Parts: sequence; structure tokens; C-alpha cells
Amino acid sequence: MTEVVQYVFAGLVVGAIYGVVGMGYTGVYNVTRIVNFAQGDFAMIGALGAIAAYEAGAPLSAAVAIAVVAVALLGLLVERLAIRPARAEEGRGIIITLGVGACLQGLAVMVWGTDARALPAFSGERPIALAGATITPQALWVLGTTLALMLGLQVFFRATYLGKAFRACAVNPYAARLVGIGVPSMHVIAFVLSGALGAVAGIVVAPIVLAQYDTGIPLGIKAFVACIIGGLGNATGAVVGGLVLGVLEAMATGFGSSGYKNAIAFVLLLVFLLFRPRGILGELDRADH
Amino acid sequence: MSSTARTTERAALAALAAALVAVPLTGSAYLTNLSIVVALHALPAIGLSLLMGYTGQISIGHAAFYGLGAYASALFALRLGVDPWLAIAAAAALVGAIAWALGWVIFRLRGHHLAVATLALGIIVYVGFVEMRGLTGGPNGLSGIPPLSVPGLALDSDFRFYPVAWAVCLTGVLLATRLIDAPLGLAMRAIRESERGAEALGTDVVALKRRILVVSAVFAAVAGGLYAHYIGFVSPQPFGVGFSIRLIVMVAVGGFASVWGALFGAAFVTLIGEPLQKLGHFDVIAYGLLLVVVMVFFPQGILRELGRWRRARVRATAA
Repeated sequence: MTEVVQYVFAGLVVGAIYGVVGMGYTGVYNVTRIVNFAQGDFAMIGALGAIAAYEAGAPLSAAVAIAVVAVALLGLLVERLAIRPARAEEGRGIIITLGVGACLQGLAVMVWGTDARALPAFSGERPIALAGATITPQALWVLGTTLALMLGLQVFFRATYLGKAFRACAVNPYAARLVGIGVPSMHVIAFVLSGALGAVAGIVVAPIVLAQYDTGIPLGIKAFVACIIGGLGNATGAVVGGLVLGVLEAMATGFGSSGYKNAIAFVLLLVFLLFRPRGILGELDRADH
Repeated sequence: MSSTARTTERAALAALAAALVAVPLTGSAYLTNLSIVVALHALPAIGLSLLMGYTGQISIGHAAFYGLGAYASALFALRLGVDPWLAIAAAAALVGAIAWALGWVIFRLRGHHLAVATLALGIIVYVGFVEMRGLTGGPNGLSGIPPLSVPGLALDSDFRFYPVAWAVCLTGVLLATRLIDAPLGLAMRAIRESERGAEALGTDVVALKRRILVVSAVFAAVAGGLYAHYIGFVSPQPFGVGFSIRLIVMVAVGGFASVWGALFGAAFVTLIGEPLQKLGHFDVIAYGLLLVVVMVFFPQGILRELGRWRRARVRATAA
């Protein structure tokens, strides 16, 4: 029984990681319909950036802030330099973000080399006993950040003027333009948000999962699977999907073999894509044009 | 097509023919090897152009078909002692059948869903190469794969293999151009422009997509089989996501819907890849940048856009 609790804890933490990275997809997808294949690489750059700032002597909190702002600006650059000039629709957008992701990986190798690096845990390493199992303080940080971001995004999208304008673009960009919402600005905001969210996700998991130039792709794909399970474009769905995926993976690793752990994500992906493409919670309703 | 365009095309063909003849005559094993690699990359790139460029169906997992072709052909030859020519044919048939089965599943999807599903399939196959040690030799791969041979002569050097690689590659080009000029090719483009429209005109959209996926996979598998018997060794490393993305770069450089463009793209990407190898791991930055730049500034491919710029300049000076 203790074993099961331990697996569930481990799964929830890994799942929260998928969820927190997955939330980064939602803004860009909703507003531009582009799936940002560089999302995982945003997380990777955020983590490596924070580690570099920390190693250069900045206090941990400042290092985190610097990295988040830097990757948010990176999101802005990507939108300005690659997405907007191409006036990218879905298909070309996918290919462009693939290219952007490759650039970011190359950049990471150029600046930080190929070694895996870690950030120190935010509040020590001493495990906490809970319900007969143990959990590390950093795991609580991951769960807490996920929850906070999920609620924060809900409030942003539902209660603020900017968030409502953002959603209006997502539902019907043409009508949004007619009522005076600057759709291009919303695109910029979407990419900045995606950069910031990606960076936060990468940083909060960096003490648990070592950051390396090539950790972005697998993380990004798992996070995308989480989005599909929960409902793409839905922040809460990303978290729900992430937790489902994380727990299933942990169970499989615990009771089966770790070799098949990766297969679970892709089997779930195919099952959901085929039988429930809108995910558990469904996508944002959209007026098709 | 205007007469100037036709002249340009003839000149390009003549240049290609001259280059193909000249390369082995230089006596340089390095150049010959490079040229063979171009031919072996061009085949999957052409296959991807048919699928992505002409039919509008994205695939970020095409390296899997190339790898499956290489491994299947190697295994047929090593384990069953099949003649390499036959092994390649059998591997191509097997990969075609796999593609046919996969098509049933993945063409229920479109756009980014299809993109991610193909990416996932590509990764699954790669993981399979690494993990199924008993069959694939795991990360160490398979060695001692017999070379192709014609009666009395083993094609075991760069110079002997060279004509085979290009003969198969050019046959691929020919078949692909015939395919897109056929009514089927028009139906492919109709699907790309509007699936509903194509359906309304009586095209069985899903069936056609599956057929094109099979053709595309067979192109990749044949090249993979040739690669295995040419190098004599296969390991998982060349068949990862990185190669799938490089194939997309090749097709993008060529302008997506262009068979000759894909050949040009394969040559372009392979040749710039040579100096980049010195960069080690961060050569991806170059491919990434190239992809973004081509998508932003050369949406019709490098050749076509350059031609358009030149024509515009000629017109400007004439006026």
C-alpha cells in the first residue's frame, strides 16, 4: 500500500511537470492555432538561464526572475522575427516553430555546452513524510506552482479585460477585430506568455530533472500529450492531462518495466487523438471561419 | 511554361548530368561518397515532398521509414541470408505494408494532431531500434551487412556503388514526376487545397492519402536499404527526430511541392552539412535557422524565389 502511495506521489509530481509545461501551449494555440513546437525548448532555456544566472552569483530569486523575463522576451522575438513575417497559418507555423526549437537547442549548446546542469532545490532537500510515503520540498514547489499558475490563468482569462480580449481573439479573430481588439498585439502577448510560462515550468523542475540542451523536446512532447488528454488550449485540461499521464507512467514503471514508460504516453496520445480528440475537458469553443 | 524557363530547366538538367559524370572522374572518394549521400537523402526527401508538398499532409517522423527500411533490409540479409537486392525489395514491401496500416490510424487526424502523431511514431520507432536489442543490436547496431553485388562484382566501394545510388535516385525522380503529372497527382493537389472540395469531386480522400503515404514510405525504405548495404552497418543514431527535421528542411528548401526541388534541397542540406559537422552538437542551430529563414523569406523554395527575384530585376531594368 505504501508503495502505491509513493508511486502516486511520484506520478503526481511528474504529472505536474507535464502540466506546467503544457499550460505554455494554451495561449499560443488559442490565439494563433499554432502548436508551438519550441515550447519545451523555452522551458529548457529558462532552466539553463536561471542556472547560469545563479552560478554567476545572483540570488536564487533574482536568477529566476531574470530567466523568466529573458525567455518572455525571447517569445516576443520569436513572434516578431519568425511568426509575424511569415503570416503563418497552422501548417507553416508548426514547421517554423520546429526550426525555432532547433535554433534554441543549438544556442543552448553554444552557450552552455552539452553537460546536464541542476539548480539547487528552492527549500532544501529534506524529504517530508506524508501518508506513509515521502515527498521532497521541491516536489511541493512543483505542485504548488502548477496549481498557482492554473488558477492564475483562469483568473486572467475570465476576470481581466486583457484576458477577455485574448479569449475573444481565440473564439473569433474577425469579430474581435470588429470590436476594436488588436489581434496582432494579442499574438505578441500569447508568445510572451508562452515564453514566461515555459521558463517558469523549466525552472521549477530544474532541481528535480537535470537541464540539458536536449531535454526540451521530450519534455515538450510529453506536455503536449498532457494537453491532448486534457483538452488542447485549456489550461486546466493541461494540468489534468499531465496528472493522469504522470500517475499512469509512474504505475507502469513501478509495476512493470521502465522501458515501456515512454510508450504509455504515445499510446495514450494515439488513443485520445483517435477516440476523444477534444480531450477530457474539451477545447475552447471556437466559431469556425 | 515560358521558353526562357524551359531553357533554364534544360541548362539545369545538363549541369546536373555533367556534375554526376564528373564526380567519380575526379577520383575523389570523398566527393563520390558525398554525392552518394545526396542521392540517398534525396529519395526520402522526394517521398516527403509527395506527401507534404503535394498532398499537404505533414510528417515529422519520416526518418522512421528510412530507418525501418535500413534495419529490415539488413536483417533480411543477415538473418535469412537473402540476397541484398531481394532484401531491399522485401524491406520496401514490408515498410509499405506498415505505412498502409499506419495510414488507417493517422489519417483520422489533421494539422497539428497529425504532426504530433507522426512525431510520436518517429520516436517510438527510434526507441524500438534502441530497446529491441535481440533484433536490432540496441545502441551498438548491426554490422557486417553484405554489400550489393552484380554478377562477378561486389559493389563494395564508393565508385562501384555510385552508379547504383544515382540510378535508383533518378528512377525515383522519374516515377515521382510521372505520379504528379497523372490524374492522381491532380487529386493529390486537390486534397491539399481543399479536402471537402476533393471529396465533392469524388476523390476518396483518406484512401488516396494512405496510398501516397505508402509511396512516400517506400521511397524512404529503398534509400534506407541502399544505405544499409552501402555502409555495411546500421545503428539507431542516424534515424532519430533530427533526421526527420533535416528531411523537412530539404523539402522546404526545395519549395515543398517540387520533386526536383526536393533533390536540390537534399543536395543543398547535405553539402552545407559537411562544414557544419565540425560544429558538433550545435549544428542544429544552422538547420533551425535555415528552416525559419526559408519559411519566412522563401515560402516557395530557394530556387523559385531566386528565379522570381531575377525576373523582377530583369523587368525593372527593361522598364
